[in-house]
Amino acid sequence: MAILKLYSSSVTACTRRTATVLHELKIPFELIEVDVLSGAHKTPEFLKFQPFGQVPYIDDDGFILYESRAICRYVAAKHPRSGLIPTDPKANALFEQATSIELTNFEPSAGKAGLPFYLKKLGWRDDLTDVPANLEILDKKLDAYEAILSKQRYLAGDTLTLADLFHLPYAGFVSLGSDIMTRPNRPNVARWYNELVSRPAWLAYQDGVKTTTEY
Amino acid sequence: MVLTLYGLAAPLGGTATVAMTLAEKGIPYTFVSVDLQHGEHKQPEFRKKQPFGLVPALDDDGFVLYESRAICRYLAEKYAAQGPTLIPTELKAKALFEQAAAVEFANFEPHARAAYNEGVLKPHFNLPVDPSALNACISKLSDNLDVYEVILGKQRFLAGDEFTLADLFHVAFGTTLAEAGCDLMTSKGPNVKRWWKEVTSRPAWLSVLNNGIKTTMCADDALSEP
Repeated sequence: MAILKLYSSSVTACTRRTATVLHELKIPFELIEVDVLSGAHKTPEFLKFQPFGQVPYIDDDGFILYESRAICRYVAAKHPRSGLIPTDPKANALFEQATSIELTNFEPSAGKAGLPFYLKKLGWRDDLTDVPANLEILDKKLDAYEAILSKQRYLAGDTLTLADLFHLPYAGFVSLGSDIMTRPNRPNVARWYNELVSRPAWLAYQDGVKTTTEY
Repeated sequence: MVLTLYGLAAPLGGTATVAMTLAEKGIPYTFVSVDLQHGEHKQPEFRKKQPFGLVPALDDDGFVLYESRAICRYLAEKYAAQGPTLIPTELKAKALFEQAAAVEFANFEPHARAAYNEGVLKPHFNLPVDPSALNACISKLSDNLDVYEVILGKQRFLAGDEFTLADLFHVAFGTTLAEAGCDLMTSKGPNVKRWWKEVTSRPAWLSVLNNGIKTTMCADDALSEP
């Protein structure tokens, strides 16, 4: 059976998200670099696989899939004993609530605040105009996270799920320029955040995602 | 015991998305209107249910859930045996469903919502509309709908040939676009037009539009046609 192929830029946010989950699940994968700076993701050849011209996509033994969270869900579904997607009906519902929280209440502002810091670090773009307003939005959202995480260890309950891991790229990027994730007035957010960014699966690709065949 | 849905009784946004799913599945429910105009959703009492101070929220016999997409998924799973199958179960079909659901949130919702905020909400509150901001989100939406046109030329719905929640999630914001002065859902191309007509003609959506979002005690009420 062929190794899972991850087509993406080695450094972009959604590649980091995908690779972190692959690493958590100890799934071997080959990173095939897509040179986004030169527009390789907008060519007709690329668009055949990812019609929106976005990275990443995977080729899992001929099965093509895109959207990082869909990819993560697919590989986690192939490894049900990981517990990254709970199966009990109510636990699963709370998991879906947590993934939706990340999508609607975290990514919009954390992405718009975090990505500029990250792009500046990469030397790709230096424009922090959108950051302050989005940090303000994120600050209020994190108060709700504090309320949730004061009652349970992770976002969906007391076990780690994909919902927590989905936060990683942008939670990490926001912290490149702000202490918003670790402020003392939100000790539970800080506890949860510090645990996430200490995970080997996140640390493994600090300098970029690379082909990983052994764990 | 009957489900209770808390939210806004209007055919747009998260509450309407859940109401459509309840109608698709023929699930009775009690509706409790949350007074958004007077900030009820931001009060500590409501925040006990929904810590972000947003609607909708669902109470299923003491089990409280929020985030419209999560509520819809829960209903689809709990009532899998009745009504249409809204989430596939086979591994690859489900992955393609997740791909389509992710596309809705990444490539459709932000621009449709921005167009609604700029082109419908602002005039409603007598605020000046910024035409270049409105055109910017419509333009991004248009580029993405070019891709929808390609996808929907090869398959009937966004996740494959069956209707799923991935299609349903588009309805409650997509239908506000016309009010914002954007006719992309019918003018983009024949495939998007065909899909949009099919999705918005479903009896479940028509019942939300025509009967409103209200306490619905039997399946017949939920699916009554105009």
